[in-house]
Amino acid sequence: MKMKKLMAITLAGVMAASMVGCSGSSSTTDGAKTDGTTSSGTETEASGDKVAASGEKLVVWTLASDLKQFAERYTEQTGTEVETVVIEPADYPTKVQTALMGGETEPDIIVGEPQMLEDFYDNGFFANLDELGAKDYEGQIVDYVWKVGQDADGVQRAISYQITPAGIYYRRDIAEEVFGTDDPEEIGKYFADYGTILDTAKTLKDAGYRIFASDSEINYFSGDSAWVVDGALNVSQARLDYMDLVISLYQDDLTAYANQWSTPWYQAMSGEVPILTAEIQNYEDDSVNVWDADAFNEATADLEKTTVFAFGLPSWGVLTMRDNVGETSGKWGVCAGPAYGFGGGTYIGISNLSERKELAWDFVKFCTLNEETADWWIEASEGDTVSLISALEKHKDDENAVYGGEKLYSFWLEQAEGIDYSKVTKYDKVIGDAWGAAIGSIKTGQATREEAFATFYDTIESTYPEITVTR
Amino acid sequence: MGYKIKKCILYILLIILAATCLLPFTLMIVNATRSGAEISSSFTFIPSTHIKENWDILFGYFNLFRGMLNSIIVAVPATLLGAYFSALTAYGLAMYKFKGNKFIFGAILVFMMIPGQLSLIGFYQLCTKLHLVNSYIPLILPAVAAPGTVFFLRQYILSSLSPSLVEAARIDGAPELYTFHKIALPIISPAMATMGIMGFIGNWNNYLLPMIILNKNDKFTLPVMMATLRASIDAARNQGATYLAVAISVIPILLVFCFFSRYIISSISAGAVKE
Repeated sequence: MKMKKLMAITLAGVMAASMVGCSGSSSTTDGAKTDGTTSSGTETEASGDKVAASGEKLVVWTLASDLKQFAERYTEQTGTEVETVVIEPADYPTKVQTALMGGETEPDIIVGEPQMLEDFYDNGFFANLDELGAKDYEGQIVDYVWKVGQDADGVQRAISYQITPAGIYYRRDIAEEVFGTDDPEEIGKYFADYGTILDTAKTLKDAGYRIFASDSEINYFSGDSAWVVDGALNVSQARLDYMDLVISLYQDDLTAYANQWSTPWYQAMSGEVPILTAEIQNYEDDSVNVWDADAFNEATADLEKTTVFAFGLPSWGVLTMRDNVGETSGKWGVCAGPAYGFGGGTYIGISNLSERKELAWDFVKFCTLNEETADWWIEASEGDTVSLISALEKHKDDENAVYGGEKLYSFWLEQAEGIDYSKVTKYDKVIGDAWGAAIGSIKTGQATREEAFATFYDTIESTYPEITVTR
Repeated sequence: MGYKIKKCILYILLIILAATCLLPFTLMIVNATRSGAEISSSFTFIPSTHIKENWDILFGYFNLFRGMLNSIIVAVPATLLGAYFSALTAYGLAMYKFKGNKFIFGAILVFMMIPGQLSLIGFYQLCTKLHLVNSYIPLILPAVAAPGTVFFLRQYILSSLSPSLVEAARIDGAPELYTFHKIALPIISPAMATMGIMGFIGNWNNYLLPMIILNKNDKFTLPVMMATLRASIDAARNQGATYLAVAISVIPILLVFCFFSRYIISSISAGAVKE
């Protein structure tokens, strides 16, 4: 009897399943149909309206939810419906690659971060913006952003609405005390090159401060030449100098031994922090949990305290710092680092398979080349740095209270103008990480210099067989 | 006395084991009530007061229940289809002697070893040509072919379904499909339930394929929706909301497990009293 019941249930389940399967399919077709009607519905509305939009819908695939705000504003202003699909950043390249290689015409706008862009260009995912008239806007966007958006042949493929040049964020009060000035120009001189930074670090240590919380702060400024030149790995003198600096900072006890993005690192933004030990930083000594604020305070109560002088972050660090500086708000300043560098940024382009390229181009222009949008974004994001030169110039006298009233927009513009994009390659992420790992193993003594270099070269050779490695 | 001590030790061990298994779940539920800042700064089992905030953040991004419904629409039929058709295949392979039986079984084993990710672009192209992108069919139908389940069920049928039962049915004049439904299915239902749970969890948590196939926000299944929480700039601040989403999303899995585990246990006892 029981068997019969069970079987009946199973069979009913199977039937229900097949029905749901069918209804699923019919609902999708229904969905497509209603989509069609709604869009034609808006079309009639739009044509009746004075809005010039054709009433078509734009589809945006993005990895940054920023664009959702842009899309909402675009709809508000033009009446064109924009559908924003946000995809997790780590899976974004997979999604776009599969879809576009599979011939998907749905997304009109696709985006990318600098390290993804070159692959996207090579695969032809981005439409040619020059054909749509991007050439007319040359010079309106900060130069390096414009260049990052170009493929190997110099064709414009994507444009970003933000710039992300790196700078050194420092404490004005400490600068005044130790160096007798808090002027960004003057303090910048103390960060002019790797050797000087080491001297600065020592001066600060003698005065009872630490220059950085972690030893990764100058990462954004490392290297003055490309990692790969003419298909060969290029480990320039500047890279080696950078390595020496990081090792000295670490071994000579010049930082507070915090890890970037860990609790003590954030705490260092708001004032005194305990000086950790190297063992704590590499988790060899696990008596201190750097991710737990309460336990951390308790465990480090006996350690010597210090105040950290500076952080090295791209322009979006303005927001990170603002949220974490606490009582030291207003005591910070921003100056130039030893080299020009940048980190991150979302680049907007048009899918090559889009059927609404004109409209999509209008959206790209709206996000990147429209001064009104840039003004609005500065407000809405509460201090993001836009890429439109005219907007930056308009805001060049804006003073940021967190940073002692420094005029940050003109500073970032200046930094961004110095960035030499030609030294950026698609290999940077992997090679940079491998180099960081090499530095890490040397500074902690896990490997000798020779061993670490051998591992570094092996990694590069196995990851990119096309790169010639001369040991 | 000795028996009691033994039992005592056994129970203590079992309690420790149970606690170890439940700990991550507790942590997840506790974290669902804490704010992002609290989560990244410390570790505790004391619930906090931010559940309402997390809920608001979560539903500010998307409608979690819509995702849940989508996931159910995909996972339930996929599981049922997978279990039923695998049983049918396994029965055929185990009960009938025909040329190529071994070869087919071998082929199924080989397909078990090919990772599905390899054919992703081709699969997407196929779906575009068939106009199946943005629909649930490519997520449900392929579940019919589940080599792992077929393999498992075939072994189970060979060991627990005596051919004489089937022969007896045949002698009484039962059609083959009738025999399968009336005789074989009830006997192998514990194994089907086991594979059903596995299949359901697999389908429920399936991320890659829905992420690739679905392009509309309101069609996203739960894992795809939840991943978008990480796309925002406030990823660290949203940690509490992420935990809340995960906590809610495991509820169906727990329910399914509670319901089906009865059959798993009955399969153990069924083996015990056999012949």
